[in-house]
Amino acid sequence: MKIFLFITCVLFSTHVLAAEEQYQFNSANEEQLFKELTLELRCPKCQNQNIADSDAVVAKDLRDKVLELVKEGNNKQQVVDYMIDRYGYFVHYKPPITPLTLLLWILPLLFVVVGFVVIFVRQKQQKNRQTSWSQQDEQKLNDLIAQYQESK
Amino acid sequence: MNKKVLLALPLVLFLITFVFLFKGLFGNPKEIESGRIGQQIPAFSLPDLMDEKRIWNEQSLLGEAYLINVWGTWCPTCLIELPYLTKLREQGVKIVGLYYEQGYDPDFGDTFSLPALQQEVSQMLARTGDPYQFNILDLERKLALDLGVSGAPETFLIDKHGKIVLHHTGDINERVWRAKFAARLLELQ
Repeated sequence: MKIFLFITCVLFSTHVLAAEEQYQFNSANEEQLFKELTLELRCPKCQNQNIADSDAVVAKDLRDKVLELVKEGNNKQQVVDYMIDRYGYFVHYKPPITPLTLLLWILPLLFVVVGFVVIFVRQKQQKNRQTSWSQQDEQKLNDLIAQYQESK
Repeated sequence: MNKKVLLALPLVLFLITFVFLFKGLFGNPKEIESGRIGQQIPAFSLPDLMDEKRIWNEQSLLGEAYLINVWGTWCPTCLIELPYLTKLREQGVKIVGLYYEQGYDPDFGDTFSLPALQQEVSQMLARTGDPYQFNILDLERKLALDLGVSGAPETFLIDKHGKIVLHHTGDINERVWRAKFAARLLELQ
């Protein structure tokens, strides 16, 4: 049992990010904000890594800058704006809604809506094609049944 | 009529997707537009690489369109573009170097020796040709960060009023120069 506990502890301890321990914070709030920001800001050099994860020189420079800005008392939006100002929207993992990015939100919805409309229209067309059962049809059917029974 | 529109819909959707994906084939994900395009060059005050008593700032560069080329002796791609940049200088293009020191980080106890760097730079430029009017030493990469630089080489085109007109990531060669820079620089001159 003890060995099992030990192994569990060892396995889960790898999740601790050692790289962040070198930073000194004045408050838990600052530390939280710094963590959030470095996870959300994207490294312009090692693309698809956030700046907390990347070892690129520019990622370290951005981390240092985030730390400086956080310590100066800037809030999250201010730090993000500071970075976007320099590196463009690319640097933030949550791009803003602009006319272009709006397309990404609307297109999938449009596909679903168009799909339903198509289904609806086709069903309606099929219904219209089935014309109602007239007296004449009834008579014809009865005749056919009679014919069939007689022939037997 | 309605049926025709409905039948054309898949084709239209296909074409939109096709154009979107086709364009993606030729995109370069490393090419990130700096957020600074169209803005004034940020304020700075940094020493000359070869003469640290000489301080350059954003004012000292006004009056003429020029290129800022971010480079370093550690950067192999810079080594490749230096001869071409030298050729551009001979054609009358004003190029200012922004020396991007990669190795130096005081947090890791790195020491920095300016004379050693100066010697290294002189040796390298003697070999490849020197395209620079002068070099600005950005030891802490502050101006680089303000410009939205992610590495080297990168090049900015600045107009005579100090406005950032163009940004290019990667080396400058004949093809890039003709496609991206030549016409814009001509407009500005």
